[in-house]
Amino acid sequence: MPDPRKLGIGALIVALLIVLPMMISSSFALSVMNQIGIAIIFALAFNMLLGQGGMLSFGHAVYFGLAGFVTAHVINGMHVDAFPYIPVTLIPLVGGIAGLFFGIVVGFVSTRRAGTAFAMISLGFAELVTGLTLIIVFFFGGEEGVQTDRWVREEWFGITYGPDIQVYYLIAAWCVIAAILMYALTRTPFGRMSNAVRDNPERTQFIGYNTHRLRWLAFALSSFFAGLAGALHAINVEHVGFETVGLGQSAVILIMVYIGGTGHFAGPILGAILITLLNAYLSDVSPAWYLYLGLIFVLIVMFAPGGLAGLIMMHEPIRRTAPYLLWQMAPAYGAALGTSLVGLAGAIGLIEMIYFRSTTVSLDSALVLYGIELDTGDIWPWLICAALGAAGGYGCKMTYPRVAEAYSAAMHEARALVTT
Amino acid sequence: MTPAIEFRGVQKNFGPTEVIRGIDLVIQPGEIHAMIGPNGAGKSTLFNLVTGRYHVSAGHIALNGEDITNRAPHDISRKGLSRSFQVTNIFHRMSVYENVRCAMLWNLGYRYKFWQSVRNKRDLTERTDEVLAQTGLSSRSTVLAGLLSYSDQRALEIAITIAGGANVVLLDEPTSGMSSAETEQAVTLIRDISATRTMVIVEHDMGVVFDLADRISVLVYGKIIATGTPAQIRANTKVQEAYLGTDAEP
Repeated sequence: MPDPRKLGIGALIVALLIVLPMMISSSFALSVMNQIGIAIIFALAFNMLLGQGGMLSFGHAVYFGLAGFVTAHVINGMHVDAFPYIPVTLIPLVGGIAGLFFGIVVGFVSTRRAGTAFAMISLGFAELVTGLTLIIVFFFGGEEGVQTDRWVREEWFGITYGPDIQVYYLIAAWCVIAAILMYALTRTPFGRMSNAVRDNPERTQFIGYNTHRLRWLAFALSSFFAGLAGALHAINVEHVGFETVGLGQSAVILIMVYIGGTGHFAGPILGAILITLLNAYLSDVSPAWYLYLGLIFVLIVMFAPGGLAGLIMMHEPIRRTAPYLLWQMAPAYGAALGTSLVGLAGAIGLIEMIYFRSTTVSLDSALVLYGIELDTGDIWPWLICAALGAAGGYGCKMTYPRVAEAYSAAMHEARALVTT
Repeated sequence: MTPAIEFRGVQKNFGPTEVIRGIDLVIQPGEIHAMIGPNGAGKSTLFNLVTGRYHVSAGHIALNGEDITNRAPHDISRKGLSRSFQVTNIFHRMSVYENVRCAMLWNLGYRYKFWQSVRNKRDLTERTDEVLAQTGLSSRSTVLAGLLSYSDQRALEIAITIAGGANVVLLDEPTSGMSSAETEQAVTLIRDISATRTMVIVEHDMGVVFDLADRISVLVYGKIIATGTPAQIRANTKVQEAYLGTDAEP
């Protein structure tokens, strides 16, 4: 019997997914939501490996991208009657099966060893497949990639997948189904033993499990869901390029999942939403977007290895026992946030001015930042930004220990409440 | 009666170093058999050979009459032999309950199933509760294994070892690093679980060994110099010379 509270939250999410596009009219926002849905499936699939199974892959986009290519070819084949007709609604399953197939084949080799060997082999396969995209032109379409047209014929209820809104609902529906399935998987004997092999492969053998089989199964199932996401990507943008199997794509998913948090099921969802949003909106605002992404990633790895979900879940014991303690912590957190923002404002100012000076060809030396026009030829903006950065940095040094104190004090009090 | 474990001419070399130099030994079903011997005598190596962690260089090992020489560890485990480790070897990031439940999944037939939940399965729930109660861990079932105290981790180590229902159990220094009160508890637990199982124990605490064991084998430099009841071993002059009299372990 499922937990009624979880059912309630689930129903709320589904309702939100249904009404969200009705409240948003911009087609750009809709396309961002489509990307988020695809990223969530891919991120959850990736975390089946990294978070659940303890396998760090540098090339999981291979299964995402290959499934995308297969999907594009299947749809194109249906247009010329070379393939039997499958409703486009169900085409993501074709991508999933393609991902599963490649996952089974490659996984058999790569999951023999865990740890560094696995990571290196995944990197090798990513390079190998990227190389193949320029060699097997009839499949990968070379540098142009493969175009497709998702409007095959009218399906149930007159759906054609012509309008973007229909694709949105397709992605949303598959996203919910895939998330539920992947969550259910964590509770099966396979899911539990996947955690066991992550924690202690040696002991896993001595309780009767073949560790290679366990990793292989995890790899294959993860590739299935990565393939599902890849198929939706092909349907969404109606084009699959060689970059979808590449290292860049693999790195982005790794960064998303890590920033969101590998230790909690919802972590990758958080990461996928946040990074896709930032990518969509920040990459237009700042040419230094990748620098910021790298910076966030490094900070998370260094100071919050549990990711955002880990940071949130740290407070769960306090919230559960005595929510009012969270309010007591608020001033310390607020002060830390304030100093961080000041420091960040300074750092961003410096970075943006450096970028502006090094990329702008025109003689115009004015940069618009925070709605203010800055003359980068003048010394004052540099000095002010440097001062802000230094002040913020110094402030953080004072406020961060307060956060740690407030947290441990609250935890202490919560613990005392539990034991009495 | 078919021996629980039978060693026939078992040897193990690491490069030119002979660690096990020809072992012939029969472990009878139902007995508690202790292995003693100075550090480096090859006791742990012998465990690693039986459980498939190392390959033997020569000779044969049989479990319940079936040859298991050089089989994979998971294979041997499925045939009903399980072991604990000298250095605690548990699933640190999983709860105590989850540790114990995972340890019985294979033997209760759950294998690699990915289409059925482990929740609300009566056989799993009942058996997990039973093992937790037996090892005194019931009150700690929701705690992360990595956060347990040392002696609780040792108890969990044994819980994982017996959870799968193996009929032959190997314990590698189950009381190492324990206080005398904790050791006493551990001895009670070991005696309790030995009621239905064959047990082989490597142990440095002579009090524990002579208290628990039905028979004792003395291993010195990769060879067994004597096997017998505690009384026989105590009276054996070879053992006294080689081990007990001269450099008894504290």
